Amino acid sequence: MTRGLKNSLPWEEILRTLHAHTILNDDGWLGDGIARVYGSDLMSDILSFSKPNSLLLTGLINPQTIRTAEMVDIAAICFVHGKRPHEETLDLARKNQLPLFCTRFSMFEACGRLFAAGLVDEEGFPGLPESKGRGDDR
Amino acid sequence: MKLEDIVRKLDLEVTSGEKNLDREVTRGYASDLMSDVIANAEKNDISVTLQTHLNTVAVASMKELAGIVLINGRRPEQETLKRAVQEAMPILVSPLSAFEVVGRLYGFGITGMKG
Amino acid sequence: MNRLKQLHKVQELVYELKIRDAAVREVFTMSPDTMMTQVRQMLRGQKITAAPVIENGTLLGIVSVEDYINWLQEGADDCPVSERMSRDLVTMYDDEPMVFAIQNFEKYRYYEFPVINRKSGKLEGIITKFDVLVALLKALDIDYYKMEIGQYDGTHFFNDVSADQSRLEFAYSVPKAGIGAGGEVASKLKRNLGYLGIHPNIIRRVAIATYEAEMNLVIYGGGGTIRANLDGSCIRIEVADEGPGIEDIDAVLEPGYSTAPAWVRELGFGAGMGFSNIQNSAQELDITSAVGKGTRLDIVIPLEES
Repeated sequence: MTRGLKNSLPWEEILRTLHAHTILNDDGWLGDGIARVYGSDLMSDILSFSKPNSLLLTGLINPQTIRTAEMVDIAAICFVHGKRPHEETLDLARKNQLPLFCTRFSMFEACGRLFAAGLVDEEGFPGLPESKGRGDDR
Repeated sequence: MKLEDIVRKLDLEVTSGEKNLDREVTRGYASDLMSDVIANAEKNDISVTLQTHLNTVAVASMKELAGIVLINGRRPEQETLKRAVQEAMPILVSPLSAFEVVGRLYGFGITGMKG
Repeated sequence: MNRLKQLHKVQELVYELKIRDAAVREVFTMSPDTMMTQVRQMLRGQKITAAPVIENGTLLGIVSVEDYINWLQEGADDCPVSERMSRDLVTMYDDEPMVFAIQNFEKYRYYEFPVINRKSGKLEGIITKFDVLVALLKALDIDYYKMEIGQYDGTHFFNDVSADQSRLEFAYSVPKAGIGAGGEVASKLKRNLGYLGIHPNIIRRVAIATYEAEMNLVIYGGGGTIRANLDGSCIRIEVADEGPGIEDIDAVLEPGYSTAPAWVRELGFGAGMGFSNIQNSAQELDITSAVGKGTRLDIVIPLEES
């Protein structure tokens, strides 16, 4: 249980940084903010990352992305490069109450901007300088 | 920014293409889907991926990318390395995640916006 | 949850939760040469009653509102906090059970304790009574939610039921179909384990392993069956198909090895990490396969966090 993660960006700021718009979201689906972002287009990679409550950036719009996200408790997905998912994917996301967003930026640009805005990728507690560890390296 | 500067700043391991490290990089592309790279990457881009498959080099050469950064400490497969050496395509390895590598490259002024 | 059960739950939690689960990491600290005249503003501004005094990352002492009041009362000259701070610190370790904090709050008059990371010896955070309260509420809340999704608190299912031996089996049939349906079984199994109150870390491992195995079944195996068998100590997942079989089992276990065609790769699969992911999630993975006959995976995952 962690409180007050200094680098936790609230959702509005994340979405603003990405110039993202909402494809699917409802009351209470999103938590307070996240401090971890993962960008990947490979399912097995996303699965092995498995840090819950993260934002996934991906170019994969097929329904399996939603399943994969469900397996590792991802908080939300933002599709990059303006990609928009089809009905099958939307249905599954709705069932799982998984928020979906979309940014016109490429993966590179999206990651770059979020990184610059101060999000950490791996588990790090930036409150105290000594504890800016990187968690376990996979 | 030259590849060799990136290598130095990110402490990357050079596994191939040493003689092409003076290539100039202004843009970056991060994707693990070959069709995506083919469709959207541009000449002289630096590619960030964890795909160690042979296709990665084939596509990089086809699109005339400046070089490839493999993340999460992934190493190129044997066939991939052979081809990379043949084409003098730089494959650089980093233990960092894609997000971190891209974030730092972005900090150096390498963007993902269309040239 | 009735009152008595709730009380028992809190008592349990107080022992289960650790100091680090409640401690706040952003600590407002002072340097030893901060002057006493600044103390009131600082504490007031941060809405705290005490601040640890740090020099080069080392905890030297703690300055509290009480120290300030005493200094004021004595009418003493302005001086650095190092001269008035308390060096007799009561600190807590991040990995101690939260009940120790409660005991300490009762024993000493202090409102907060600095929290030290046992491994590094450095100040990691600070804990107040309020933080303990919030941590308990959050933990109870999570338990409450689990109760809501299933009328029965299944956490002690295997302890509650009476039998010489108990076993639960969930059996699924995975039809030979397009890749779209893949993952349904993993999803259902994940939910079932949630109802039983299995630890989320374990559920995640089961989800990952089952999902990877199920996708293999769908992409390569032509469909098959998945059986998840639980007893009190572990879950055994059997995934079987009558597909083409695996020619070289050692090869498929190699990370990165893949026979995936292009269309599979384009959907984000086929990176050859499937079996690695299963192995990393499981305690045991056994693969039995014969070309032309089929493949069977036996996956064992312990149900207790080690």
